[in-house]
Amino acid sequence: MEQQYTRSRIPLKPFYAREDAEHSRDPLKLPPPGQYPFTRGIRARAGWTWIHRELSGQGDPITSNRQLRYLIDKGQMGIDVIGDSPTQAYLDPDHPLARNAIGTQGVSLCCLQDYRDLYRDLPLVSITVSNSLPPVVAIAALYVVARENGVHPEDLRGSLVQAPFFAEDCGYAVNMPFDLRLRLTCDAIAFCAEKMPKFHAFLEDTYFPSEAGLDPVEEMARGFVEIRHVVRELLKRGLPIDSFAPRIAILVNCGMDFFEEIAKIRATRRLFARMMKEEFGAEDPRSMAVVITCHTSGLSLTAQQPVNNIVRGAIQTLALALAGVQAIEISAFDEAYRTPTPESHLVGLRTQQVVQLETGATKVLDPLGGSYFLESLTDETERRIREMVHEIESKGDPGELSDRGWFKAFFEEVMARYARRIAEGEVQKVGLNCHQIPEEEDTLLKDIAQTKIEPYWDRIEAVRSFKERRNKEHVASSLRLCRKAAESPGENLMFSTIEALEAGATASEIAGMFRLAYSVPYDPHGFEGPPF
Amino acid sequence: MEKTRVFIGLLGTDQHELGAVAVSRILRDAGFEVVYGGRFNIPEGIVKTAVEEDVDVIGLSCHSWEYLHYAPRLLELLKERNLKIPVMVGGSVITPGDTRDLRSMGVAAAFGPSATPEEIVGAIHRIAKKARSHKD
Repeated sequence: MEQQYTRSRIPLKPFYAREDAEHSRDPLKLPPPGQYPFTRGIRARAGWTWIHRELSGQGDPITSNRQLRYLIDKGQMGIDVIGDSPTQAYLDPDHPLARNAIGTQGVSLCCLQDYRDLYRDLPLVSITVSNSLPPVVAIAALYVVARENGVHPEDLRGSLVQAPFFAEDCGYAVNMPFDLRLRLTCDAIAFCAEKMPKFHAFLEDTYFPSEAGLDPVEEMARGFVEIRHVVRELLKRGLPIDSFAPRIAILVNCGMDFFEEIAKIRATRRLFARMMKEEFGAEDPRSMAVVITCHTSGLSLTAQQPVNNIVRGAIQTLALALAGVQAIEISAFDEAYRTPTPESHLVGLRTQQVVQLETGATKVLDPLGGSYFLESLTDETERRIREMVHEIESKGDPGELSDRGWFKAFFEEVMARYARRIAEGEVQKVGLNCHQIPEEEDTLLKDIAQTKIEPYWDRIEAVRSFKERRNKEHVASSLRLCRKAAESPGENLMFSTIEALEAGATASEIAGMFRLAYSVPYDPHGFEGPPF
Repeated sequence: MEKTRVFIGLLGTDQHELGAVAVSRILRDAGFEVVYGGRFNIPEGIVKTAVEEDVDVIGLSCHSWEYLHYAPRLLELLKERNLKIPVMVGGSVITPGDTRDLRSMGVAAAFGPSATPEEIVGAIHRIAKKARSHKD
């Protein structure tokens, strides 16, 4: 028989037996769920559930608010909002580069009023608020809006994606130097450790870099490099490890290699626990038990026969339920074409509900634990991730590697590798490179998937007129404060950001002032200068 | 004979670079010279680069609908400046219907997510050859 491999090229045996899994020889290797090193899960509660949510955001904040309420009404337990591509890059809708992307691939958000409209009448305490938005501005805005609505920020639960290393290379570039990106991440974490202690201000995002085509080992190795660097930076600032580590979470990807994805999550929990305890000296067990959330892989889906993507989403959700994650978002069946339609949103949510309520997969914790194959794969995945982390860290300071473009070069290599594997059929994808059907027969759900949205051009005028109406002196002085704070190394930029947002400043403007303090242009694309 | 020079870039705020990187690699392997424009391009900048770099074909990689607005503007600018540089569009969001619309708008070739490397390479050879014969 031909040698079989996992997606990370781990060689597989035809079958597995007792001697293949380390835990068979050493029972201490596999303590029960809820116990260090948390391989089998961070909690010991049977009949558990994960947070069901779907990635949302479209058009202007009011439209997105309707979308969120629709999903909550259908049983969603948390929200996850993503900005449109200008928002993700700190570009206001009136920026010349933004105009044709306003609200089409996420929601357009640029000032405090936008966040007020986005969160209007949402039960901010009973749901979790997990956003994929520019870190400092989004947390500052959530903090202010919660307080305005009589919600105590210390009661807020949720998370915010932080990706100081990789967003620049293969996600949403914000055109800030690495030192500034890292500082914004650390400032947000330090601020939340004090003011929003239930909020996971550090959601390490291994999802989007891995969408370049990384395998699970490469994905988690890069994630750990980022986590370790941020943790070291926070320790350097004098923060005790147990003050922030309980609020580190990881947003992982989940592709179609069923067992490897489960092994990856179990190995990640164990690696994280050991790293926190043995390397960073954490004492609080919560610091060692990492929350894992997942967005299922958009790259695993196909534009061809989009109905098959529903099947993929269901299989991935089952893998995640068996791995015991804390929250799931399914990449919608129309992912290849657009941000989710109401129809695909509902299918995603219903898929989660079917797996949760009908399969019985969550009646027992870690139901696959002890499987010779899975335990062996977990051990091997853990070993390979640890080795890759050491290999990367031995190349030099990860911050310098990032500024030098080392990670970018790696991602480009992987993108080309992925394209080659698809073209050569090494990775088989039904409907894409095998079992294709003629385009004229490929009609099921295509009408929904291919419906286009016009950019929300009205936002341009609305934001311009908002900027005209503001108390300009007030905005100008708050922006000067942002720059001054950024020029003083010890200042936490959350505070000046909150003040600026309250004064009516926008994301573009705040980011621009931070950039100036770091000697890079206010507008990286050269269209605009400081407004005051 | 000089290598055919192909500009590859993304439009506006579209940051999904996988396709552009992959196509650039395919084209280089097939003997083309790629002028890689990366992210954040608008038609005015693309025309400027195309002239300065003397490119034979302009390739736009699209994972957002921004192309619906930028592609016509690019064609218009090329026409205004009397530049006969063919434009190709490719990407995951391009449907068969979009392909027809783009062709009738004056785009030389358009590819959806099912296009094979051979199809893309073949089309560029054809387009570049045709453009050269017009130039000479």
